[in-house]
Amino acid sequence: MTAEATLTLRAPLRHRVDGGSVAWGALRGLDAAAIGSQEVWVEGEGRTTLGDLFEVRGAPAPRIRLVGDLASMDGIGAGLAAGELVVEGDAGWYLGLGMSGGVIEVRGSAGPHAGGAEPGARRGMTGGEIIIRGSAGPQAGAGLRRGLLVIQADAGEGAGQAMLAGSIVVFGSLGPDPGIWSKRGSIVAFGAHAPPAPYRYACTYHPPHLPVTLLYLRARHRVPVSDEQVAGLYRRYSGDLAELGAGEILAWIP
Amino acid sequence: MRVARVIITARSPRWAREAALKMTGFATSVIGCKCEAGIERELAGSETPDGRPGISVLLLTMAREDLAQRLIERVGQTVLTCPTTCCFDGLPEAAERVGVGSALRLFGDGFQGSKVIGGRRFWRIPVMEGEFLVEDKFGLQKGIGGGNFLILAADAEAALAAAEAGVEAIRAVRGVILPFPGGVVRSGSKVGSRRTKGMVASTNDAYCPTLRAVTRSALPDGVQSVLEIVVDGMDAASVTRALRVGIEASCREGVLAITAGNYGGKLGPHHFHLRQIMSAGGTGR
Repeated sequence: MTAEATLTLRAPLRHRVDGGSVAWGALRGLDAAAIGSQEVWVEGEGRTTLGDLFEVRGAPAPRIRLVGDLASMDGIGAGLAAGELVVEGDAGWYLGLGMSGGVIEVRGSAGPHAGGAEPGARRGMTGGEIIIRGSAGPQAGAGLRRGLLVIQADAGEGAGQAMLAGSIVVFGSLGPDPGIWSKRGSIVAFGAHAPPAPYRYACTYHPPHLPVTLLYLRARHRVPVSDEQVAGLYRRYSGDLAELGAGEILAWIP
Repeated sequence: MRVARVIITARSPRWAREAALKMTGFATSVIGCKCEAGIERELAGSETPDGRPGISVLLLTMAREDLAQRLIERVGQTVLTCPTTCCFDGLPEAAERVGVGSALRLFGDGFQGSKVIGGRRFWRIPVMEGEFLVEDKFGLQKGIGGGNFLILAADAEAALAAAEAGVEAIRAVRGVILPFPGGVVRSGSKVGSRRTKGMVASTNDAYCPTLRAVTRSALPDGVQSVLEIVVDGMDAASVTRALRVGIEASCREGVLAITAGNYGGKLGPHHFHLRQIMSAGGTGR
């Protein structure tokens, strides 16, 4: 078995591609031909296959690597339950839609709703880990039920909106209204942030789970976490107090 | 026996040790304490899940069910209560697991929360100081209790000095604990009792110098004092290693003989034959 299968974009995408129909969770068990036969939908063009869009090499493998600018490809990693998916570039909307396990790493930025719920749905990802090396669009982790979403640069508006549990860690700035309507779950802010009105300051302390999380991210995912962040003090804001109020924003004090 | 490894971390080594000392208190023998526990070693920040200094504790019981209960009691009363501590499972790869944090979380009275980090679930329990973090489940495995050797000395001072030297050497061995005070037992026991029906253990009269004239003594001429070192461990290899270095260090002036209590083979399935152990490659079986 090879270490990974690689899908290299044959040509820049001219239209939006809906990758939500790809059985991302099953790709790791498929050979190159079977991966290439997976159907996707191209806006304005209709049904096509991964093999038409990507050159597929090496399979089956627990790790799938997508190479190219996929900012126009939505639903990458949808339904992933195990294994590892690496995007060597940007990713489109709804990254990890309905994901329940495994790891997605985006080495560029991700569009709106990364790890979030699809329109009308209450739950976003229910497990697994998403690591976005760049920024994430609006509503990252919206409806997050479980799992870990890490954004190494900035997060857009409404990160963790209506989240139910899980953790979102943002190393850059946090857009407006983070965690609004959330019931539980943690948003960790290392950059600029403004807790929304229904959040209330609780205390400044050392949250004991954060060093475990941050050291794990450093060791497992090579996230550049500083010792000061590991051992630092955090301001805890509880919210959304209009909902259950068991959620929190933990804001690092540099 | 079953053994669990508990990792206690704290803001400073001092507070990790305070919690560990309390947790391993009154845990010398399963006979009277329901468990045996001790400090395995100190841990550097680089060895702990939260990067803080820590202490590794081993806790042994006769049965799996007992282990869960003892962990809940002891972590709940001695680690949860201690400032700045967190409590982690030291056997994350063990297949057999018991709930500890899953029970202690109820102290949070509904305000507790959980986090899954790297596939491991932790509970955050709010306390007046801040939060206590404890792992949901702890691994356990088969362990070994009661590895021992007896130091037969010409006088009490020589016996104690030899025992101290043995203990110091054993403390450098990983995977073992010395559950008795300072690692040393002065009241070695035999299985059962001559006089009291139902008593699990009573004084080891064969090794009591004061009883030499009135019992079937096992003491050679000249022996005036006997001390025992009891070793519990994760496996036979660890116990064997500990016994070997302990005996080597204990063989000093004033020590007339080293032997072991085998209790007629009634103590358990593992027998550590000292002559084999002291020869190269000897292992307990």
